[in-house]
Amino acid sequence: MFQYIIRRILIMIPTLIVISAVIFAIIKLPPGDFFTAYVETLRASGEQADLQKIAFLREQYHFDDPAWMQYGYWVSGLAQGDLGFSFEYERPVSQVVGDRLLLTFIVSVATIIFTWVVSFPIGVYSATHQYSWSDYSLTFLGFLGLATPNFLLALVLLYLANVYFGLSIGGLMEPRYLDQPWSWAKAMSVLSHLWIPVLVIGASGTAGMIRRLRANLLDELQKQYVVTARAKGLPPFRALVKYPLRMSLNPFIADIGALLPHVISGAAVVSVVLSLPTTGPMLLSALRSQDMYLAGSFLFFMAFLTVIGVFLSDLALAWLDPRIRLDGGVTR
Amino acid sequence: MKPTLLSRFLAPLALAFLVAGPALADAPAPQETPSLAAAVKAGKLPPVADRLPQAPLVITPTEIGKQGGAMTMLMGTNKDTKMMVVFGYARLVVYTPDYTLVPDILQSYEVEDGRVFTFHLRPGHKWSDGEPFTAEDFRYWFEDMAGNKELFRSGLPDAMLAEGKGPKFEVIDPETVRYTWAKRNPLFLPALAGPEPLYIYAPAHYMKKFHVKYGDAKFIEDQVKAQRVRNWAALHTRLFHPYQDDNPDLPSLDPWVPRTKPPAERFVFERNPYFHRIDPEGHQLPYIDSVALVIADAKIIPAKTGAGESDLQARYLRFDNYTFLKEAEERQNYAVRLWKTAPGAQLALYPNLNVNDPVWQKLMRDVRFRRALSLAIDRHEINQAIYYGLALEGQNTALPGSPLYDPADRNAWSQFDIKAANKLLDEIGLTARDSDGIRLLPDGRLLQIVIENAGESTEQSDVLELIRDTWAEAGIKLFSKPSQREIWRRRVYAGDTMMSIDKGVENGLVRPGLAPMEFAPTTQGQVEWPKWGQYLETKGKAGEKIDVPEAEELATLYQKWFAAGDDATRTAIWKKMLQINADQVFTIGIIAGVLQPVVVTNRLRNVPAEGIYNWDPGAFFGVYHMDTFWFAPEGSKQASIQQ
Repeated sequence: MFQYIIRRILIMIPTLIVISAVIFAIIKLPPGDFFTAYVETLRASGEQADLQKIAFLREQYHFDDPAWMQYGYWVSGLAQGDLGFSFEYERPVSQVVGDRLLLTFIVSVATIIFTWVVSFPIGVYSATHQYSWSDYSLTFLGFLGLATPNFLLALVLLYLANVYFGLSIGGLMEPRYLDQPWSWAKAMSVLSHLWIPVLVIGASGTAGMIRRLRANLLDELQKQYVVTARAKGLPPFRALVKYPLRMSLNPFIADIGALLPHVISGAAVVSVVLSLPTTGPMLLSALRSQDMYLAGSFLFFMAFLTVIGVFLSDLALAWLDPRIRLDGGVTR
Repeated sequence: MKPTLLSRFLAPLALAFLVAGPALADAPAPQETPSLAAAVKAGKLPPVADRLPQAPLVITPTEIGKQGGAMTMLMGTNKDTKMMVVFGYARLVVYTPDYTLVPDILQSYEVEDGRVFTFHLRPGHKWSDGEPFTAEDFRYWFEDMAGNKELFRSGLPDAMLAEGKGPKFEVIDPETVRYTWAKRNPLFLPALAGPEPLYIYAPAHYMKKFHVKYGDAKFIEDQVKAQRVRNWAALHTRLFHPYQDDNPDLPSLDPWVPRTKPPAERFVFERNPYFHRIDPEGHQLPYIDSVALVIADAKIIPAKTGAGESDLQARYLRFDNYTFLKEAEERQNYAVRLWKTAPGAQLALYPNLNVNDPVWQKLMRDVRFRRALSLAIDRHEINQAIYYGLALEGQNTALPGSPLYDPADRNAWSQFDIKAANKLLDEIGLTARDSDGIRLLPDGRLLQIVIENAGESTEQSDVLELIRDTWAEAGIKLFSKPSQREIWRRRVYAGDTMMSIDKGVENGLVRPGLAPMEFAPTTQGQVEWPKWGQYLETKGKAGEKIDVPEAEELATLYQKWFAAGDDATRTAIWKKMLQINADQVFTIGIIAGVLQPVVVTNRLRNVPAEGIYNWDPGAFFGVYHMDTFWFAPEGSKQASIQQ
């Protein structure tokens, strides 16, 4: 096991290097750079860019050096924990991202809890009552959740919440709390706004999770050991929970790998529609304005979390499910 | 104060004309601001009489208001904090709503021969931190900032160069400074009064701490480390950014000063206790105590405004939001007003006279071809179908309301006349057609025009769709190619684009005193002749020399405008340039004067019912004195909701 962990950690290093190169190449792909895009945006609104300042920043951040050198500066910065400088916000990336991480975290964790709390019992119920009318209606609901475009649901809920509950449009709290320190009233304001993004972001995930859990559980329930257990007179609940449910939990665990980056990135499209102060819209605008260090460092950070998450979920799976082998050389 | 007719004649005779501010005697006795009374009592602030300059600027608002209240506005990005500088509009000199220049921060100024500018400051004027604002602040900027190679690498800003040379700067006394150029510099005052002003002063007492010449080396080094910048120059540049208005520590002369450090989702600006304007009853302006900018995604701002979340909103609202906003008017207690806009055209077509393809280049440079294209556009149909008939049809030129407006320019070649268009095209020799009736180029290719654009609005595609139908009748096939702003620009600069569609000239409310740079080849950014503009911009190092006589003439006239010493000559030059542009149809204007919705909450007063929402000159709400806007007591209705 120890050897396995060491090997996995060592494999991460080349993986991350490749990822960083790919990220950098993709960000560099569009013609021009942040400053040409910036000058054009200003020109479009009749303003003039401060060329002095742009020349200044261009030089400071090596914009006129060849691409491989810029990559070198960026990666060596990353290795030392320096995420670089955001031109859009004119401050270090870490400061820009920092403020948004907490709210993103709140939204994402709430969404995950919502997804699990709703999908788990429904999935189990659907599987144990297969083809009953309740299974059909829950399945129907699930498919609705899967099929409705998130952003549309977001817009509809936003409108309804504003007209019927008087909630402010978009954002995660009433505007007057934005610059206040955390207080009970502020937390309540966040809670009253939180349900829309949680419902919207969670809808499709919940539906997907229900379907997977149901399918897995159905597979298990038809296996001989379950039939045997029942025939031997094990109580139905125990016959369900002891083994079949445990086996069908694998997708939940495997999801942890994807969860980690999700927790900090949020759902970008929904966040843009709802104008949430999370990292998703920030990443989108950074990519659009070619704010390369902000976009690059954030993407890299997400990639890093994905790699860690996959590693953790693999460990958890191995621990939970003894059938999984650590050294798959022979069977693979 | 308007320059009299007499002074216009005197100016060219190299005599000074004086624009004076109000005299000391007619200033009313200042009243203490209620929200600051406590601080004054506690001794934290000096009383109002000591905070104001000896001769404050008296502004007479439509209605005398009450001080107090907090206003909320919505903005799209962190960078929009600069809008407070734009809206606040405190400048050395400012435009009035009828666009004449008057002193504002300055008590008065004198101009001799368009070369010698003498500025008189208001004695006792103070920065927002209470330190005196004096000639030293001008000297610091000119000598220690602009004159420092590390800070201003490329030297003085363009508006401070007359034929490439900077001015001689003198401090006459602590309240008087003088700039003397060898040649006339007509750009100087308009630049000072711009929405994004040319700053020729800096709070020396604050900035010196960060300047290597004055500051403590150890302190600067620590700050450079703390702010994570490379050197002192970067630190200085970052801290002195008055236009961005995001450094709460930077002393300012604006009506509201920032209190929030970015990044944030809500920026609060509080009243500047040392602001230099008062109302006729002696209340210090601004009336409103604090302004909050709430940052939300630009696309959601119309919806938030419609939910009553903004007290005053025009930015990020478009004409097509009008019906939605109007519907919520009663429910949300606000009024939607429609203000005029000033671009010479909402949309215009730009044939690229520098297109690489030789056959197309010849065609684009043929004035008959450009006129035919213009004649084959049904502007009336576009106006009715897309703008509810509320827009102004015609070319991309001066607007009614500008002293240089001539209906003949606006209507030149803009009536819908397919017959005349076809006749012109036949005259050029484009008589051969294919089986669909599309004309053929001399080399046998189809007459297919690809119109590229920045791909940012569906409005452009809608308009092009309508033009496509009428052009087809003239035997021209139109393709629209939306791309992305930057890529499109690059293609235009490289000569790959045949034609573009974009906003017309930025300012259609042209005046003789504003440089006619949009009507002659001047910069690469002009998509009708990018290479000519680049040639002039780079002084012949890149681009192509102008080789069309009419464009050449425009460039010459532009030069003459700079040398002109009086408004009569400038007017003559302007008129000639507008006329050449209209007759030559270098850009094909489609529609102008599309209205701007302005949402005003019912309690907010002194916002004009009708206005012009323009960037430069105008500074959006700036010329209408946002510092005189005030909140009437709860529950009161707007006096005039309807216009």
